[in-house]
Amino acid sequence: MANKSVWSDNRFWARSAAWISGFASVLLIWLTFDTSVQISMGTDSDLKNGVTKRVPAPTVINYKITYEMSAKRGHEVPIIGGNDGKGMSLFQEKEKFFGKDDWSEKEAAEMLHLGKLASQTKNCMNCHTLLGNGAYYAPDLTKAWLDPAWSSTGALQPMTGKTTKEEAMAEFLQHPSKYPTHARMMPNLGITEKEARGLVAFLKHMSSIDTNGFPRNFGKMQGAVNGK
Amino acid sequence: MIEPLTDVVPSFFAILNQGPLTLTIFLHTIIVLPMIWVYKQEKARLDSEA
Amino acid sequence: MASKLLDNPFTGVGSESRQLATWYFTFAAILFGAQLLFGLVIAIQYVSPGFLFEIIDFSVARMLHINALVVWMVFAMFGSVYWLLPDETGIETVGIKIGKLLYWVFVVAIVIVVLVYLFIQVGPADEMSIWFIHEGREYIEAPRWADLGIVVVALGFVANLFMTGIKGKQTGIITVLMANMIAFAGLYLAGMFFTDNISVDQYWWWWVIHLWVEATWEVFVGALAAYGLIQMIGASRKVVEMWLWIEVAMLFGSGILGLGHHYFWIGTPEYWWEIGALFSALEPLPLVAMFIHVMYDWGKQQGKKSLDGTGESVVNNQPAFLWFWMNAFGNFLGAGVWGFFHTLPQVNLYTHGTQFTSAHGHLSFFGAYATILIGMMYLAIQGKNKIKVMKNTKSSLWALGLTVGGVVGMTIALTISGYVQVLVSRAQMGATWSGYFDGQASVWFAQGMDWRLIMGVVTFAGFIFLIKDFLTTGQNPVHQK
Ligand code: HEC
Ligand code: HEM
Ligand code: HEM
Ligand SMILES: [Fe+2]
Repeated sequence: MANKSVWSDNRFWARSAAWISGFASVLLIWLTFDTSVQISMGTDSDLKNGVTKRVPAPTVINYKITYEMSAKRGHEVPIIGGNDGKGMSLFQEKEKFFGKDDWSEKEAAEMLHLGKLASQTKNCMNCHTLLGNGAYYAPDLTKAWLDPAWSSTGALQPMTGKTTKEEAMAEFLQHPSKYPTHARMMPNLGITEKEARGLVAFLKHMSSIDTNGFPRNFGKMQGAVNGK
Repeated sequence: MIEPLTDVVPSFFAILNQGPLTLTIFLHTIIVLPMIWVYKQEKARLDSEA
Repeated sequence: MASKLLDNPFTGVGSESRQLATWYFTFAAILFGAQLLFGLVIAIQYVSPGFLFEIIDFSVARMLHINALVVWMVFAMFGSVYWLLPDETGIETVGIKIGKLLYWVFVVAIVIVVLVYLFIQVGPADEMSIWFIHEGREYIEAPRWADLGIVVVALGFVANLFMTGIKGKQTGIITVLMANMIAFAGLYLAGMFFTDNISVDQYWWWWVIHLWVEATWEVFVGALAAYGLIQMIGASRKVVEMWLWIEVAMLFGSGILGLGHHYFWIGTPEYWWEIGALFSALEPLPLVAMFIHVMYDWGKQQGKKSLDGTGESVVNNQPAFLWFWMNAFGNFLGAGVWGFFHTLPQVNLYTHGTQFTSAHGHLSFFGAYATILIGMMYLAIQGKNKIKVMKNTKSSLWALGLTVGGVVGMTIALTISGYVQVLVSRAQMGATWSGYFDGQASVWFAQGMDWRLIMGVVTFAGFIFLIKDFLTTGQNPVHQK
């Protein structure tokens, strides 16, 4: 028989498989270190010193948040505390959240912690998507805080009888089936007032995460005719 | 040719991220190239066995 | 050599390992039924939202649907390993008594978890709920006490596999399984901790979900397909194992960094666009290779056999082989084609988290995993009933036709609904609350949901035939004993 080809040799493929799998895993671990640093939560002093973090500190709830086009990035980014005109956050303009705009680092962190716990124990993700992951039965919550429907001119805030966005959202979360806007309703999940506040803090914080422009054009188009 | 960096943090991978190919060509290459050594070793083994 | 196995295709019948395998398969089949029933509940809720509202809400039924899915597949995978171990290693599984004990621990834990999901449903926002009710993280919702139980069970399983592999004959298939199952079990740990940072949360969550279904489970399927081809058509072990190693290289080579296609929008850096897009774009290649491999080996073995002029089939288990064949094709279609559709970031920006994802999720899980695991169950029925050549029955064909037709039908319906949602809710209306409902209200979307429900019923009818066949085919005189 002629010389056996390496290409049909089991040992060659076994060793190649081992090398490729092992090395791809090493690269993934390297990338994970790089990414982990970038997505670690910022601190209150980052906000005060104008340091842009992909995931800002919990005290971001003290600031005004918007979602605007950045020419440099080529997509929308969360803008915290005002826009410098070039698509970067100024970290200046504050916004009252449940009556105050000076929640301490500890208070804000506690609220966020409660909210994240509630989001899991109440199972938001098996109806909604968060950051686009989860279930498709209800609207994506990534930027829910910025949804025009919750603004003072939107349809939902007046419906709950509240005069601020955060109070309206908290009221809705506690008694969702009291405020139906569609046949498909959100059920009562036994959310307490404290949990509801935590959840709203969690939603506001999530809207400040830099998601590389997802969702695109959020809240920019209203009243357009859909393609029925 | 060289695209300006757009990402938040200018890390090693962010700089290599130059459109659809650069970063992945780099990664694919360093994964696949060393198979040449495996090939050579196995060829030598098969030859010596033959 | 392969022929030796064929001469004696019933190695280890009566072995305890194989008995344990049938237990695993039985519980898997029951959970499969539960999965489908809860799938029907949530599909009805899409069409008629008042159904079981504030009794079994969408979130509760969906959690049961997808958890039952994951758990039945894990059960059937453990069962498959216990089934093939005596054949491959030539010895009885080491530590089988512990294996049996762990089986019961696993079953009891799952039953408790299901009852808690159904009757307690949600808890207050504290650690106790995470420990004892559920963790609220899609697919791996099991409460933490159950997580710990699952880790113990998985460790016991991996230990049995290793001890048997080391003591007995260590074939290529066994070597691949040993390495793979360690990774499979280890990855579960990445999904067990709590963090306030939702980006970090999702980062590690995908390690479990993606690195399971697009790396370790796929390699597992490669190993099962290799085993099945040797068993069912007498393919040459040397050739089959060479293919297996090539598949491992391609699957891990593309799938591990392909993880990046989930890191486009969760707060992670932009460089994942490139890595995720280009590595995952290669993921369909090994799936094509696996399909070609099955066709090639089949053709080759049948060609050799045809030389004797009797016109007999080389296949010694028709229903199992059909399901294995469906797997080769369904894996390519559901994971490969439907996956590639939405894997580039420019596309995924709009399809991310829509019914399109659901279309892909259904066809891939069914095509890549449900099929081959059902095929393994048929191999077990053949072995258990000492059947030499197992034939299709009316029920086995109806089961296959209706489940495959139903799932493909659901996929088509979801794909159409998904397109409408992508264009109306996302591209046109910018993904807000009102944009979301504009999409949902579209006639095309709504009819897609109707058809999904109808096709879900068809799938369920197929399941009924499947169970009927499982229970009766052993006694059916069509088979050659
Ligand atoms: C059983 C399914 C279900 C669960 C669980 C659920 N929701 Fe909802 N949610 C809905 C539905 C359906 C709507 C749309 C209601 C409407 O339009 O009338 C909705 C609407 C909302 C809205 C308003 C829409 C928007 O985009 O701003 C918010 C905010 C919200 N949910 C937050 C949450 C949070 C936070 C949780 C977890 C604590 C949660 N939901 C759990 C089904 C659910
Ligand atoms: C009776 C048949 C079935 C029906 C009616 C059904 C229905 C559903 C529904 C309504 C959802 C929720 C989707 C959403 O969040 O909007 C879902 C999710 C899911 N189902 Fe099914 N299903 C069925 C069978 C199956 C089968 C056979 C499989 C796989 C083998 C499967 C796998 C999944 C998966 C993986 C998800 C999560 C999808 C995602 O998040 O993208 N289902 N199913
Ligand atoms: C058998 C293998 C596979 C299975 C079982 C599978 C299953 C799934 C499921 C269930 C989801 C939804 C997860 C969720 O609930 O959020 C998903 C998402 C996704 N899958 Fe797969 N998949 C497989 C292979 C592939 C392949 C080969 C590709 C690419 C070529 C791919 C591309 C994607 C992408 C891009 C998403 C994200 C969708 C989104 O952004 O919403 N998948 N997959
Ligand atoms: Fe994936």
